[in-house]
Amino acid sequence: MKAVLDGVQRWRHELSNCLHSCIGVALTRHGIDALVVLGSRWQFYYRPGDLRREEYFWPCPPGVSLAQTLMPYHPISSRWHQPADAAQGWQQVRERILAGEPALVAVDNFWLPFRPAYQDVHSNHLVAVYGFDDEADLVWINDGVPPAFDGPMAGKHLDASRDSDNPIVHDRDLFFTANPIGNKWLSIDRDPDAPAPPDLATMLRTNVRDFLDPEPVDGYVGLGGIEAFLRDSADRLAIGEAIAEETFVVAGTAVASAALHASALRALASQHNNPLLAEVALAVDRVAHHWTAIRILVNTIEQSEVDRLRYRTDQLMADCGRALAEVSRVADALAQEGQQTCRPRFTASS
Amino acid sequence: MTAEIVTSEAFQPTSLTTYFNNTSRTDAHALDAGAFNIWRNTFPATELPEPGGTVVVGGVPFAFPGWRADGADNVRCCGQLLDIDPPGHYDWIYLLVAAERRTEDPVLLHFAAGVVDQEWLRVSDFWPDASAHFGELRAYQCSVLHYPRHTQERMPPTIWRQRVPVARAAELRALRLPDNPAIHVFAMTLLSADRRIQR
Repeated sequence: MKAVLDGVQRWRHELSNCLHSCIGVALTRHGIDALVVLGSRWQFYYRPGDLRREEYFWPCPPGVSLAQTLMPYHPISSRWHQPADAAQGWQQVRERILAGEPALVAVDNFWLPFRPAYQDVHSNHLVAVYGFDDEADLVWINDGVPPAFDGPMAGKHLDASRDSDNPIVHDRDLFFTANPIGNKWLSIDRDPDAPAPPDLATMLRTNVRDFLDPEPVDGYVGLGGIEAFLRDSADRLAIGEAIAEETFVVAGTAVASAALHASALRALASQHNNPLLAEVALAVDRVAHHWTAIRILVNTIEQSEVDRLRYRTDQLMADCGRALAEVSRVADALAQEGQQTCRPRFTASS
Repeated sequence: MTAEIVTSEAFQPTSLTTYFNNTSRTDAHALDAGAFNIWRNTFPATELPEPGGTVVVGGVPFAFPGWRADGADNVRCCGQLLDIDPPGHYDWIYLLVAAERRTEDPVLLHFAAGVVDQEWLRVSDFWPDASAHFGELRAYQCSVLHYPRHTQERMPPTIWRQRVPVARAAELRALRLPDNPAIHVFAMTLLSADRRIQR
């Protein structure tokens, strides 16, 4: 049997990762504006001890799904699948494609010929699988992360990468190794029971509220959570603990959240000819760029240089506070303009 | 009619050699001899000009690539204070730069009598696919990226030409780089404020 889905297009945002690229593939197939959906929410959350060595790591509060965390304003659902073994995993992926949807499959880059890590180092990555040909032993892959790949590949490579133990070989892959892949995969669907998205002003106000006055939850959350996470990281570095891996990976989620939000605001500014949205996008991007610096800083400083991280934290907190104030001000202005002009279209027909 | 002519004498390429603290270029036979980013990727030396000369990027001459005996060839920003030699009146600071993911930070311009102005240094990602987010000029784009144990096709890294304004009409003496190790500076050239010719 052969089945290859049509309408699969590469999607990527330069400050996001393979998780967003794969979700973007799943959304754009249905005419959904992935930037609007992925960029409407701006938030921070991380629960100590929840760090997973996955390039597609995204921290979710207990009992809250990935889609609810990442795309809470839009009628999208998500589910991670944990098959018992490789055979069951492939059966599920195959059924998903036959049902007309791509499967977002966890892979070890060591086994994928198009990845730079091929036959070099192991790393836990995510790709969209959207076709198969049983007779030719081919699978169709879309990987938006450079060097990027879209097309057929021998099925044996996907089999090996799905079922890999992802061991440590060499020392180059710093963060996403030593975590067995386990044949897991992710499904993203439109949720017919979910309410329609709110207007933009409501989304922005909800983001600000959840930064400044978040619901109590186990873990670092909101603006106070950012400060506590970074100050705790600095304190741990000061006593000689290793913080590079955890801080890098968590900062990766923070930079993606801020940068996607900034890009979505910029796109909406252009669509609605709204200079205020463009100006607030600049302020949010500034926060993303602090996180970029932090990711490299924690991997290059010594214990004795911990004050550099503390100084950066001071700057980030000040600029994040400013950005939130600007977002709040723009939300008020949008609300005064009326709902019709500030309800972002997230599909061609919405 | 008044025209502005920028002569080559108006540009002042500045040596950063003493500030170099990072190795960004490697040869194919010694791929692990550098570590531009934290993953130890590097630019292929054979796809960049020979060190020691002057290159012209978008009409601006740079002393690029730099080179030092220990292999270092760029400044990874960690708050260094760069002397401006010679001190003078300048309009623009042109830079060859790249970042490990795009980022931005203030730089501090030091003038006489303790006067300091703040300006922005904004640098786009060196990775493939990266856009000129801050409107830079793409100075160099190599065809491959070096990894510690192999050369990767279809991963073209970029070095950008960015510029920082000097708004104050005063003698510029020094430049404080940000403490942002995601930003790398390869070369710097100053454009003199004294370049207007009436004709």
